[in-house]
Amino acid sequence: MTIVPARSSEWVRPVAQQEPASAIIEIDRVSQVFQTSARKDHVALSDISLTIEEGAFVSILGPSGCGKSTLLYIVGGFVSPTSGAAKMKGQAITAPGPDRGPVFQEFALFPWKTVLGNVMYGPRQQGVRATEAEAQSRALIEMVGLKGYENFYPKELSGGMKQRVALARTLAYHPEVLLMDEPFGALDAHTRTRLQNDLLNIWERDRKTVLFVTHSVDEAVFLSDKVVMMSKSPGRIRQVIDIDLPRPRRRNELLLDPRYQKYVVDIERMFDESDEGGVSA
Amino acid sequence: MMSPAAVTKYAAPVLACIGLLAVWQVASLALKNDSFPTAIEAISAIPSILGDKESLINILASLRRMAMGFGAAVLVSIPLGLLMGRSAAIAAFFNPLLMVIYPVPKAALMPIIMLWLGVGDITKTLVIFLGVSLPVIYHSFEGAKAIEEKMLWSGAAMGLSPLQRLVRIVLPAALPEILTGCRTGLVLALITMITSEMIARQSGAGNILFNALDMGQYDTVFAMIIIVGAMGICLDAIFERVRARLVRWSEPQFDMPLSFS
Ligand SMILES: Nc1ncnc2c1ncn2[C@@H]1O[C@H](COP(=O)(O)OP(=O)(O)OP(=O)(O)O)[C@@H](O)[C@H]1O
Ligand SMILES: [Mg+2]
Repeated sequence: MTIVPARSSEWVRPVAQQEPASAIIEIDRVSQVFQTSARKDHVALSDISLTIEEGAFVSILGPSGCGKSTLLYIVGGFVSPTSGAAKMKGQAITAPGPDRGPVFQEFALFPWKTVLGNVMYGPRQQGVRATEAEAQSRALIEMVGLKGYENFYPKELSGGMKQRVALARTLAYHPEVLLMDEPFGALDAHTRTRLQNDLLNIWERDRKTVLFVTHSVDEAVFLSDKVVMMSKSPGRIRQVIDIDLPRPRRRNELLLDPRYQKYVVDIERMFDESDEGGVSA
Repeated sequence: MMSPAAVTKYAAPVLACIGLLAVWQVASLALKNDSFPTAIEAISAIPSILGDKESLINILASLRRMAMGFGAAVLVSIPLGLLMGRSAAIAAFFNPLLMVIYPVPKAALMPIIMLWLGVGDITKTLVIFLGVSLPVIYHSFEGAKAIEEKMLWSGAAMGLSPLQRLVRIVLPAALPEILTGCRTGLVLALITMITSEMIARQSGAGNILFNALDMGQYDTVFAMIIIVGAMGICLDAIFERVRARLVRWSEPQFDMPLSFS
């Protein structure tokens, strides 16, 4: 059996990537120190600097507790860093805003609203007319595979279904930047693959900037332009890897692509090294 | 045909009532005490009370004060409790005040309030207000404190202002807890209503009761107790229905019967 890199030469990079990319988010020497109940300072993030270009898909990979969520909260404006600053389009981030849409690890759905009510909430808040917001929301609900569940309350949904509602709820108000915290963590392999494809389609269509936290090397390489690898205690950036694979990416083609396989293997090896303590700070 | 469970559900309270009345009847007959009429005597005194215009006006006046005291207390206590739950500074300011007021029986404040505001409606309504406020504040506070932070973050990201978040996220999210407080408050409203009329004897259901006591009309006394009790049960049942409707989204999904077998 031979592994054939399928028609890769024919693939054309989307135009947006050929334009000189401008930074949309700049994270400048951000550190986050938490006062823990044990009265000891806990350094969750140490001296993080990262630039994210407009329209880029950037994944953050790292072991549990290395500060991935915290970094996302700082970009979202939910938490202000102990030192350093994050900027969006040159403006210091001081508060949350509809230009940055979070999808939280904990879903954080509104339990008193139905699935439809949750998804419509953002557009309605932004002044979209009820009929229009409902039509858009129904389409999104269908896209995440929850058609027929529009009138269910969150307590009546499984973990994976809640996660999909949370994704639809954020997509519904069209944020420029998506801040996704392990959004596919609670999904079965099949749904996960489907939603990865859907997310890529949306991203390729709208060219949103995505900051995507994940545990899965596979997922990070498949989706991203850039993978940011973090290490633990204190949370630092170990390495930023550009994923130079053609787009649009098709999963079945990519899995057979030796370049894809090499990225996955290399990144996994780097993780193993850090587990063995082979890398010093 | 009703299922056995449904039969139990509807028949049990009726049986309990009949049982209570039967015990009362027997005890009263056995004791032969003037101040302890039989259940039948007490019940037969009810129609004459409810048929009397004067008494009816008194009872309605009581209910009106109760509704006003309860309504005002809920309107003030819910926002206050929610603000306390979301702001450490506001909680730090009000908590000591509430701790001082909490153990004081509200009726014990009545003599002072009567001194300032007289024996009229305002005094009695104010006492009811005080009685209802604390549980509602407490439960609103607890409900607001327990809210998942990321729900508020989601709202902030959608562009909700702090006030909008309080009204449109904190309030609905804390509603189950708030309504638990209101239910306790409703029963306390009834209790403080009667107590206030007992202290400031001028009008109301409590006044009828204690006047009858003074005049030795014990069947009327017991009839009034039954009427007030029935009012309490009805109000609570109505409230429970409304509550269950409002927070259907939060009720546990499955009935998981406790099994002792
Ligand atoms: N509010 C807080 N107070 C104190 N410590 C905190 C707080 N939030 C996070 N931390 C600490 O900061 C570190 C990073 O937390 P964070 O949630 O960002 O990790 P993570 O990389 O998202 O982990 P996971 O993959 O498990 O979600 C952890 O060690 C955690 O204990
Ligand atoms: Mg996390």
